[in-house]
Amino acid sequence: MDVPLIHTVHMGKRYQLLSGDLHALTDVNVNVQEGEFIAVMGPSGSGKSTFMNLLGCLDVPSEGDYYLSGRVVKSMTLKERAHLRNALIGFVFQGYNLLPRLNCVENVALPLVYAGIPTRERREQAREKLVDVGLERYTEFLPPQLSGGQQQRVAIARALVNNASLLLADEPTGNLDSRTSDEIIAIFERLNRERRLTIVLVTHEPDVARHARRLIRFHDGCVVEDGPVSPSPPLRQALP
Amino acid sequence: MIYSELLRESWRAMRVNRMRTILTMLGMVIGVGAVIAMLAIGNGARQSVNAIISSMGSNMLIVISGARTSGGLRFATGSTPTLHLSDADAIRELPGVAAVAPGSPGTAQIVYGANNWSTMVLGTNPAYLRIRDWQLKSGAGFSGSDMRSAARVAILGQTVANNLFGSINPVGQTIRISNSPYQVIGLLTPKGQSFGGQDQDDIVLVPVTTAQRKLFGAQFADTVRYIMVQTDGPELLSPVQEEMDALLRQRHHITGSQDPDFDIRNLTELANAAASTTRIMSLLLGLIASISLVVGGIGIMNIMLVSVTERTREVGLRMAVGAEPADILGQFLTEAVLVSTLGCLAGLLLGMLCVAMVNQLFHMHGVITFASVLIAITVSVAVGTFFGLYPARKASLLQPIEALRHE
Repeated sequence: MDVPLIHTVHMGKRYQLLSGDLHALTDVNVNVQEGEFIAVMGPSGSGKSTFMNLLGCLDVPSEGDYYLSGRVVKSMTLKERAHLRNALIGFVFQGYNLLPRLNCVENVALPLVYAGIPTRERREQAREKLVDVGLERYTEFLPPQLSGGQQQRVAIARALVNNASLLLADEPTGNLDSRTSDEIIAIFERLNRERRLTIVLVTHEPDVARHARRLIRFHDGCVVEDGPVSPSPPLRQALP
Repeated sequence: MIYSELLRESWRAMRVNRMRTILTMLGMVIGVGAVIAMLAIGNGARQSVNAIISSMGSNMLIVISGARTSGGLRFATGSTPTLHLSDADAIRELPGVAAVAPGSPGTAQIVYGANNWSTMVLGTNPAYLRIRDWQLKSGAGFSGSDMRSAARVAILGQTVANNLFGSINPVGQTIRISNSPYQVIGLLTPKGQSFGGQDQDDIVLVPVTTAQRKLFGAQFADTVRYIMVQTDGPELLSPVQEEMDALLRQRHHITGSQDPDFDIRNLTELANAAASTTRIMSLLLGLIASISLVVGGIGIMNIMLVSVTERTREVGLRMAVGAEPADILGQFLTEAVLVSTLGCLAGLLLGMLCVAMVNQLFHMHGVITFASVLIAITVSVAVGTFFGLYPARKASLLQPIEALRHE
């Protein structure tokens, strides 16, 4: 069997506060193979964000181990983790996090700046990714000139530009209306299907989670459910 | 991260807050402008002092006739000539003495044709021109026979020549000094103003023998008002001064406790004191100006700190997509250095403008040297780096998770 893309062994995260230790995450054992589409759910404070930060190498576990593509993340320096994020991971945030003074191409090309790729190639690759998300007509626009859905698509293009193998999305549809969020989810589904891109997506909405193929549910810092998404209930049942 | 990328990023960040960037820069502009202007003005002042010193003659001691005491009355220094030509001859024999020139000044009315002019007539010898480092513009100096025979010959200063002759070459003409005819044998090059602001070119030189015997009468026969002495080098000024003092005391029969009837002054020392005063002053001016540079640097640090706080989310995002701490450090540092360097260039222009204005208004000769420009640029880059380092380091030490969560 292949080396799993994500492999955690008794992974946990503890924060030291004045009032004592806070166990944000305890004993997480998760394997993710390349090409999976996973939804992460759970109430706020359940450890989802901590889990995502650890997966994204923005933080290191305080207990257990985390292997990304077979590499031990825990013992890496800041610099090594920065390079790992740059090469393997794409982030999509709830608040888009685009730089307002850069136009779309430049925003998308940002990760390539840190990969040391020359300007011209950067712009070319960034433009390709903008075409992928259907924004070929907006390459020179500044983010504030775009709608929320368009901005999020720019953010997705940015996450794809380094040809990441892992896309981490933290409530990517949280700020969007249901029609726009359907569009965004459709892009995720397509990327997962066509490119075998591994996607881990945090969401509060069962409607969004339904599109994933595996569901991990957190509660009080522990994984309480990990399995295939249950067959979808009828779409958008009319509310009473 | 590629360096041109850093520059472009910084330029963009600066343009976003245009007004703020300009105000921040203004601190550097004023600082550099002040340093450049002060250094140039100090330089100009030092140059004019140096010009005056060299016009005075170098390595020079001057012996002035002292106060004569007559029946309990003490007269002013120089009021009665107590020095004799034989004193000058004796001094010339001292070791370390390069040249000796006696000075017997007086005022006289000079007439040429319909023009007349009242000026100082100085009786002296050929060594005078050498000591004062004074060249002849045309004609010749006094000859040995002029000195021996007390010939009626004169050398004119430029001011006198201008007033009597206008544009005519005075050499070879005959003028009347106190109603006696004198032949003009030479014309001096202009020397300009002296230390005290006197016009040094308003002078007529005659042989000291002529001055004593024919011009100023025999009131104090064979005496001179002062004796100029040039030594072989600046290090000999003090020893020669001491020897001269001993020699003259002996010749004038002055015993230990008595006041001497002469006074030896070291003009070079005086001039050097004036020069070092100017030097200290320009140093002080430069120092005060540098303080404004430091204040400008603090302004940069202040704004960079604000900028780091404002852009915390941006830093978080850049880190998330792969920026190392060093990249973030470089980005903010570049911005600080760019602000200070651009401010420095604008300050150079401002400084040049100031110097040009001061030169115009006060007839100074302030010069901006290459060294001062180099210093200004180096200092402002150093200021940008020094005051940019703390904010940049602060940004690079941000935790990406917290930075991304920052509102």
